[in-house]
Amino acid sequence: MANLLWLQGGACSGNTMSFLNAEEPSACDLVTDFGINVLWHPSLGMELGDNLQQMLRDCISGKIKLDIFVFEGSVVQAPDGTGEWNRFAGRAMKDWVQELSDVSDFVVALGDCATWGGIPATAPNPSESVGLQFLKRDHGGFLGKGFKSKAGLPVINIPGCPAHPDWVTQILVGVATGHAGDVALDEFQRPKTFFQSFTQTGCTRNMHFAYKVSATEFGQRKGCLFYDLGCRGPMTHSPCNRILWNRQSSKTRAGMPCMGCTEPEFPFFDLAPGTVFKTQTVMGVPKDLPEGVDKKGYIKLTGAAKTAAPQWAEEDMFVV
Amino acid sequence: MMEDGLKTQTEPFPEDHVQFEAVLKELRELPEDDLEGKLVVSGFVDHPYGEDDQRCLECMYYLVHRKWCDLPELAVPVEPEWWCRLWRI
Repeated sequence: MANLLWLQGGACSGNTMSFLNAEEPSACDLVTDFGINVLWHPSLGMELGDNLQQMLRDCISGKIKLDIFVFEGSVVQAPDGTGEWNRFAGRAMKDWVQELSDVSDFVVALGDCATWGGIPATAPNPSESVGLQFLKRDHGGFLGKGFKSKAGLPVINIPGCPAHPDWVTQILVGVATGHAGDVALDEFQRPKTFFQSFTQTGCTRNMHFAYKVSATEFGQRKGCLFYDLGCRGPMTHSPCNRILWNRQSSKTRAGMPCMGCTEPEFPFFDLAPGTVFKTQTVMGVPKDLPEGVDKKGYIKLTGAAKTAAPQWAEEDMFVV
Repeated sequence: MMEDGLKTQTEPFPEDHVQFEAVLKELRELPEDDLEGKLVVSGFVDHPYGEDDQRCLECMYYLVHRKWCDLPELAVPVEPEWWCRLWRI
């Protein structure tokens, strides 16, 4: 039996909504099949008021063993580092976060806000939001660079806006069943099993990417969304086209450019006008190229690919 | 028109998305059937252009088999060796 506590800071509940839609395994499977005891969750917890405060204090004192602490949302530190803008159960949420993280075997940051600060931490960041162990790409965040949970692991980051439900439940099962050691993390403490490949991996528009045929407007069923519509699939680490959303689709499959929401910089360019759904270019060349590709190679590849492009690549192949 | 030496606006080349968008805005303001206006504003020339010899052939909007510019604001027939300042890859 693993005790799990889930709290929300500067959050929209998107990751909770996502989690409740999990299927492989489902949120119920965690309890019935994998021995996870949900001590409290903002949408599922039964305790209120004094009872909840007492339970949180019991976790901190060790009276109740805390195995997994899941945090959703940013850690709000405003105003002036006090955290008073985000009070919970009688005190600043950030104080609960610090003390619960210190006593938990494992700490899981869920969603962009908890991992990197996300949208609340977008400049000018009035809420002084940070992620648990990162602020954007900077290692440190709220708990500090050197933080390790009682089991000796740093914060496990599961980014996304929201994170896919199955990324969440599968990692929770791994941790709860004693397999946390098998969860290899990348440089941003994301589980490699999910975040080693790119959003582009498995994209149904890969042929259009290869032959440099661009979608130029929303709603076109042909063409790659990277060249003109700002898709970040080639530079974003996620399994969105391998582990499909609702078991059947993904942003790019539905004709929506990937916004790179699993990367620390999300939202990119601080959402400045003209930067959303538009590929940013410098002298006609994309500012951000597919990872590992340099400008010179990209230009050469473009010429070769366009020359070799077959006729079908220019036509709508997804006929109803 | 191109063969007859139509003078078009090849400079300035839009360096970033803001300048690119400004040229697109200018194109949208033209009457839809104003082919000459489109060619002038977008700066078409009938040969490769610039120190890298940029051509329509490499441009993301160029459809090889139709010899067509697929940029919605232009949507004109073009040759692979032509160029315009809305060139992007």
